[in-house]
Amino acid sequence: MNLMANILLNVIISFLVGSVLLGLQRKVMARIQMRPGPPIIQHLLHTFKFFLKESAFPKTAAMPFYIAITAMLCVIWVAAVIVGPVTEGSLLLFFAIYAIHKIVEHNAGSSSGSPYGKLSCVRAVFSAAAEVPLFAVLIIIYLKTGTMILSNIVTYQNQHGALLLSIPLAALMFFVLILSKSPYSPFAITKGKDIVSGYETEHFGLLRGYLMFSESIAWYMLLWIFLTVFIGGLNPVGYLIGMVVITAFVAFINALTPILNPNHSVMTQVTLAFIGIVGSVILLLY
Amino acid sequence: MDISILGGPILGIIPLGDIVLYFTPFNLFMFAAALAFTALIAISSTESQVEAEFGTLKNREVKVDKAEFKLRRFLAIVCGLATAGAMVTGDLFDFTLFVTLIGIVNIGIVAAVKEIDVLDAAFQYGLIAMIGTLPLFGGAALVLAATGTISLLQIVQIPYTTSLMAFGSILFFLGVAGETGVAPFFATKAEMFRTPGSPFLLIIHLSSLLVIVRTIEILLIINKPF
Repeated sequence: MNLMANILLNVIISFLVGSVLLGLQRKVMARIQMRPGPPIIQHLLHTFKFFLKESAFPKTAAMPFYIAITAMLCVIWVAAVIVGPVTEGSLLLFFAIYAIHKIVEHNAGSSSGSPYGKLSCVRAVFSAAAEVPLFAVLIIIYLKTGTMILSNIVTYQNQHGALLLSIPLAALMFFVLILSKSPYSPFAITKGKDIVSGYETEHFGLLRGYLMFSESIAWYMLLWIFLTVFIGGLNPVGYLIGMVVITAFVAFINALTPILNPNHSVMTQVTLAFIGIVGSVILLLY
Repeated sequence: MDISILGGPILGIIPLGDIVLYFTPFNLFMFAAALAFTALIAISSTESQVEAEFGTLKNREVKVDKAEFKLRRFLAIVCGLATAGAMVTGDLFDFTLFVTLIGIVNIGIVAAVKEIDVLDAAFQYGLIAMIGTLPLFGGAALVLAATGTISLLQIVQIPYTTSLMAFGSILFFLGVAGETGVAPFFATKAEMFRTPGSPFLLIIHLSSLLVIVRTIEILLIINKPF
């Protein structure tokens, strides 16, 4: 297939599937909490709605930084799709993309001048201290497989079995990272309801549309990376089933746990990262 | 070891005498991201931070004054360019110089703010960054002593890792952590981020995270577990 067509197709798939999965998560959470909940396509409808609504910009915002940062978020997650499903490139590059996502999340909040955005920004800095150690999972994968290239990791699993079974603590670390990026999660301190919508509070219309578009792709990509790296060699139906199962499991956790305060959130994640790293190294040695 | 198993195939190299810049998709992406954010910072204004007034129901706006804006913007651009350079250099000593420059200008970006809490945080960060300089250069020097080269493209060809290389790597990592102020030093950085000037704060965070990601690549080049 033509490369541009392949990229376009994968971006559309990741956006649509990611949006529906985020809608599914809300639906499952609502049913657990004895509520009817919104339709599964609600996130998708919201995204389209925001693209059509009038945009407004706070007079306190840092221009054009405030606008460009949302477009940058879209660009980096489209880049993630190219690195992932399109080219099956380097896992290290995906880490770089995630690092830039953290930076954009931080500055989308602070650039508006809103105190809620600012608090979200400071929390994003705290949470980076917890999420970056969780990404140490990449090094464990490298130590196990001898490569950072996704296609090679899949080949390794075809020969030696799924990494989920051989380095389960590393899989747990990555799952905690996925959990922390899900809406309403115990670790979602940057978008806690105590600070309204966190870094998204002052983004309206088109800009919110960009943010929601990126959220959908980000969710799809995190699940895609998890399934590719720890199970590997799945067909499209396998990916879809895997994503639905993980999303439902995440929704179950989110529905039953309160959001932690920032310090507890960071310390819990750091503790899990420490257990994951040390445990995985011990498993690799023996 | 083949360097392409880390960041993808080498797309090109630029030899500048002893210093060789190399571009894999991984390095190129981070280089482009650093330059894009630097360009954005260069053309952006700062936000007015809205804060609640203590004891009343009013809000007040905290703004960055013009002299402070100019100084911080200049330092942020230098930081962005140093970060971009650190992403593509294939020379370990060159990388340490870029990281040191990033540490110095990061301190400057926050030290220009006339707020006591922020200056306290900048002072503490400055101490950590200065202390970090010793293991940073010491680690690079030990790697040089162990391998006879500071070219990453040469080091990657060495088929073994000696204990001195591993020890140098640990010192090198500690130095980078100190210079960039990442965990466990992040608590002071969060205080620095409470000040207005979002575009300038971005470059502090951007440089730290990108340098850490690049450091992982360098450590895996020096230390070969296979």
